[in-house]
Amino acid sequence: MPELILSHVTRRFSGHTAVDDFSLTVRDGEFVCLLGPSGCGKTTTLRIIAGFERADAGRLTLDGADITHAPPQQRDIGLVFQSYALFPHKTVAENIGFGLKMRGRPRAAIAAAVEEALALVRLEGLGGRYPRALSGGQQQRVALARALAIRPRLLLMDEPLSNLDAQLREEMRNEIRRIQKSLGITAVLVTHDQAEALAMADRIAVMAKGRLQQMADPATIYEAPATAFVSGFIGQANVLEGRVESTGAEAVLALPGGVTLAGRGDGLAAGAATRAMVKHERMALCRAEPAQLANRFPCQVAERTYLGGSIAYRCEAAGMTLTALLPNHPLFESFAPGDTAWIGWAATDCAFFPC
Amino acid sequence: MRFLGKAAGGLYLLLLYLFVAGPLLFVIATSFNPATSFPAPFEGLTLSWYAAILRRPEFLSAAGTSAVVAALAAALAVVVAFLAAYALSRNGSSSARGAMATLLASPLLVPQVVISLAILQLASAWGVGTGFWGLVAAHAVYVMPFALRLLLTGLARFDFAVEEASRSLGGGWLSTWREVTLPLLRPSIVAGFTFCFILSFVNLPLSLFLTSPDTATLPIVMFAYIESRIDPMIAAVASVIVLAAGTATILLDRFLHVRLVD
Repeated sequence: MPELILSHVTRRFSGHTAVDDFSLTVRDGEFVCLLGPSGCGKTTTLRIIAGFERADAGRLTLDGADITHAPPQQRDIGLVFQSYALFPHKTVAENIGFGLKMRGRPRAAIAAAVEEALALVRLEGLGGRYPRALSGGQQQRVALARALAIRPRLLLMDEPLSNLDAQLREEMRNEIRRIQKSLGITAVLVTHDQAEALAMADRIAVMAKGRLQQMADPATIYEAPATAFVSGFIGQANVLEGRVESTGAEAVLALPGGVTLAGRGDGLAAGAATRAMVKHERMALCRAEPAQLANRFPCQVAERTYLGGSIAYRCEAAGMTLTALLPNHPLFESFAPGDTAWIGWAATDCAFFPC
Repeated sequence: MRFLGKAAGGLYLLLLYLFVAGPLLFVIATSFNPATSFPAPFEGLTLSWYAAILRRPEFLSAAGTSAVVAALAAALAVVVAFLAAYALSRNGSSSARGAMATLLASPLLVPQVVISLAILQLASAWGVGTGFWGLVAAHAVYVMPFALRLLLTGLARFDFAVEEASRSLGGGWLSTWREVTLPLLRPSIVAGFTFCFILSFVNLPLSLFLTSPDTATLPIVMFAYIESRIDPMIAAVASVIVLAAGTATILLDRFLHVRLVD
C-alpha cells in the first residue's frame, strides 16, 4: 500500500529551522494539500519527500520502505514543478517518455505508455510538438503526464497552478482531481492558496513556521480551526482580544471596554489573555435585533465595499471594529455608510484561542 | 529633421564599421597586390602570394601545430570553465559568485608575455621541459576566462529544475548531464570552444617563450618571417586566417540559430 509517513522530520538551514519536528501520514490513494504562507516550510517538506533536500532528523517511509536516505532517482515519486521544468529540447512525447527511457524500457512500450499518458491528460496528437509551442495549461498537462508516466508510488505537486490564469486554474483543479481519482494515486500538493486546498484536498495539513498546525478534512479546517493561526489564515476573521471570565461548554470573554462575548474554546483558563475569532461571513448584520444570537450589538456602518458576489461592511460597535460579509442577494438587507443596525454572531461561530 | 537624424546615424554606423573592419580590408587588398613590399601602391591583381604560402612548408606545419594547440587548449579551457561555471551558478550567493568569477577571470589581467615567461620559469624550476604541453597549458590558462564568461551567461538562463525533473524521473547524475544539462548548454559550450580556439590560434605573446622549432605556432612563424622581410605574402596568410575564422563564426551563428529557434 503506497502510504507516506513522515515522522519527526526536521530540517535546519543556517540560522533557522525550516521544518520543525514535522510528522504526517498520507494514506493510500489520499490527496493531501500542504497549505501555508510563503516561508512556512511546505516547499522544503516537499523537497525532502522528493529527495532533493535531506532531513537533519526524522524518518520517511513510503510503502513501508525507509526512503530517508534514498536518492531522488530511486524513490519512484512523480514530481510536478511550479515552473513545469519541461525539457525544452525534447518533444512532448520525449518529455513524457523520459522516465521510462531512464528505466530502460523498450521503445514500443514507451510509445504505448506515452500515448496512454497523453490520452489521460487529453493532449492526444500533440506528442510531436515542443513545449514552447504549447500554452501554459497544456504545458501543465504535459508536466503532469510526465510525472504519471512512470507509474509513481506517489505524486508530488509544487504550486502547480500558480502560473495559470484564474479560469484555467479552476479547470486544472478539477482535471488534476479527476486524474488522481481515476488512477487512485496517492498525492501531495503544496500550495499557499487556501481556495485550492479546500477545493482539492481530502485532507489539508496547515503549516506555519515549519510546524504542523492542523491536519484535517477541509470542512474541519475551516469550521473548527485548531489554532489561532489556522483560524486567521483560512478565510478572513474578526479578531478580538480580552481575558477569560468563565470557562465551560460556553465560555465568556471580557473585552477591555467591558463588553463580554460568548464563545467556545479548548485549554482556556480564567483570567488568561485570550483571542476571539469570528469569520467575516458568519457575522449577521440586520436592522432588527437578532435575538437568537448570543453576541449582538447595536452598530454603525462605517464602510461598504462592493465585492461582486458579496458585500463587506465595516462596522463600529461598542468600541469594536467588526467586518461582516453579506451575500449580494435581495434576501439580505443592504446598508449604506452611516446607517445604524445590529451586528451579531452565534457562540458556536466564536472561537477562543489562548494567546 | 528626422531625415537628417537618420542620415547622421547611418553615417556614424558606416564610420564605425570602417574603423573596425578597415585595417582588415586593407590587409586583404594588399594580399592581392603584386608589389613586393608592403605597404605599396596598387599595381594590379595577383594570386601569387597565396601560391607562395604553399612553397613555404614551415607555414603549413605551423598552421597544423597551431590548430592542434588551439583545439587542445580550447577543449581544456571549456572543461575547466564549464565545471567552474556550473558550480558557481548552482551554489552560493550572487556576491560570492561575482567574486569567484572575477578571480577566475584574473588571467586576463596579467600580460600574456608574463604568463608565458612564468610557465617557462616554473617548468625549469621543477626541472621539466615546457614542450608541447606547456604551450597548451599557457593557451588554456589564457583563453579559459572567455569560455567561463560565455558559460556563466548560458547558465544564467538555465533552469536547474530540469535537472531535478530528470532525477525525479529516474535519471542518475550521468544520464541527467548527458540527456538534459549538456544538450541545453550546447550553444554556450560550442560558442566557448570556437571562441577559445580562435583566440589561441592567433595568439603570439603566449607562445613567445614556449615554442621550439618543432612546436612553432603560425603567429610565431609569421613573426619570424616579418622580422627578416615584409612582403604581401604575410597579408595572404592573414587573409586566409580571417577567412577561416569568419567562416567558423558564420557557421556557428547559423548553427546556434538553428539550435535556439526551431
